[in-house]
Amino acid sequence: MASRESGRVKDAEKRRVLDDAARKRRARKAVEALEQDNFHDDPHADLVMSKKVPKFADSNEKPTRKKKSRSAEYYKLRFRKTFGQLVEEEASFRPEPPNYLSAQAPPSKFPDRHFCAVCGFTSNYTCISCGARYCSVKCLGTHLDTRCLKWTA
Amino acid sequence: MSETSCYILDNGAYTAKVGLSTMEPKIVPNCIMKAKSERRRPFIGSQLDECRDASGLFYILPFQKGFLINWDTQKTIWDFIFSKECCPVNFSETPLILTEPLFNFHSIQEAMTEIFFEEYECQSLLRINATDLAEYHYRKLHKNEGTVVVDSGYSFTYIVPYINGKKYKEGIRRIDVGGKVLTNHLKEILSYRQLNVMEESYVINQAKEDSCFVSHDFMGDMQITRRTGSRNTIVKDYVLPDYTTLRRGYLRDIVRPNEDLEQQTLRMNNERFSIPELLFHPSDVGIPQMGIPEAIINSIDSCPEGNKESLLENIILYGGNALFPGFRDRVFNEVRALALDHFDVNVSIAENPITYAWEGGKYLFKDPDFYSFCLTKEEYEEEGRNLAFERFDI
Repeated sequence: MASRESGRVKDAEKRRVLDDAARKRRARKAVEALEQDNFHDDPHADLVMSKKVPKFADSNEKPTRKKKSRSAEYYKLRFRKTFGQLVEEEASFRPEPPNYLSAQAPPSKFPDRHFCAVCGFTSNYTCISCGARYCSVKCLGTHLDTRCLKWTA
Repeated sequence: MSETSCYILDNGAYTAKVGLSTMEPKIVPNCIMKAKSERRRPFIGSQLDECRDASGLFYILPFQKGFLINWDTQKTIWDFIFSKECCPVNFSETPLILTEPLFNFHSIQEAMTEIFFEEYECQSLLRINATDLAEYHYRKLHKNEGTVVVDSGYSFTYIVPYINGKKYKEGIRRIDVGGKVLTNHLKEILSYRQLNVMEESYVINQAKEDSCFVSHDFMGDMQITRRTGSRNTIVKDYVLPDYTTLRRGYLRDIVRPNEDLEQQTLRMNNERFSIPELLFHPSDVGIPQMGIPEAIINSIDSCPEGNKESLLENIILYGGNALFPGFRDRVFNEVRALALDHFDVNVSIAENPITYAWEGGKYLFKDPDFYSFCLTKEEYEEEGRNLAFERFDI
């Protein structure tokens, strides 16, 4: 006694669905990726620096007239602070707005627009599993084959 | 005390604009780059011109999220900039104007003051926001009361209202979208849709500069890019550089495959305008912030009522992103639509958007009160670093 329902609905029920937290995490990672300087590793990282090959910091240090000139390394150690530490520190120096954090532009009054994650045209549909947007069955297929639930880039 | 020239260093996160006020500014990449092709040598700043093959360039940037974080890198680049190879200077005779980001962190400011007085032995130093210089530049030429300065750079876009030459800090708005986000986003979508270019920040940045424009009718242009054949007036191919016959890529019309000279190309369709669109709708990539025109209005709304008219009439755009064709008109159209009807709106764009602030430094040096803004080495040694915080309004 086969129940009468569409195959698509059955398929959809089988699929794993990401919860809100996972979706937010993914979205955050995507935004963070936009801040990266490089996607690849240092091409010179595997170079074994022998004595003959001057080290990176030294090579720029030309023997100038000023002997007391401090090396770049000195300043690295002297002022070493990460971005996070600096933001935290800022809270004690400039506790009252206006400061770095308060200057951030607020969210727009206008609703978000949605674009197909595959082709970039406007999208009307949302992927059930991961929440990505798509515009057509063709793009959904590409999305399922490449990115959905297997975050690559 | 009056020297004939001063040294101006607009220390941007991607390029430093540098030179004596009597000369034209030099634009030097503010980074160290490593190439795959030349394994023994890093390229500092404008040494990159000597690099034969800039594919897969690896960046080492002193700035992170718009703030100076990696001091060893910055020190190396400054040493290069102040050397004979680039733009030599004698700080014991020449005053220095140095720019910093808005709301620069306390300890970065301290370090800046220290390095320039103790390491480079500056005689007089003026640390200032780049937007201050831009506003000064604008005010010198227009004699206006209020100005809204929009600085759209590499790390972020700042909107800063000035009233009678003083920045109105409550009105400052920052949008966390700059050239870097645009390049990275373009890289990401091209890599997903066509060809993996994730390692080619340098080349894709050039592709962005060469092919992107700001759309005046976003949805309309989207419709055009859906069409096929000659009815799609936007689609182009970007020919990628191969570093043997071609050093920089270029945009060209679609040609038939048999005409192809075995050049590698990227098809640029809706990418051409959906990339700069992020400046107007950061939410398109999930950054929950206003776009530039809305933030301009939001900023002006937070200013005193009596100044709004003058602010709306004096909006000045500069920074690398202002080079996108159509940028000014789009900002004007949207600000005009959002502003109250009885106000006039005037938006102008810097003639040289990248060096606009630097040029402002040139005007500021001619100001009769210039030296009263500066801090001298004697004062620094006498009073210490706290005086720097009192004098410089960063």
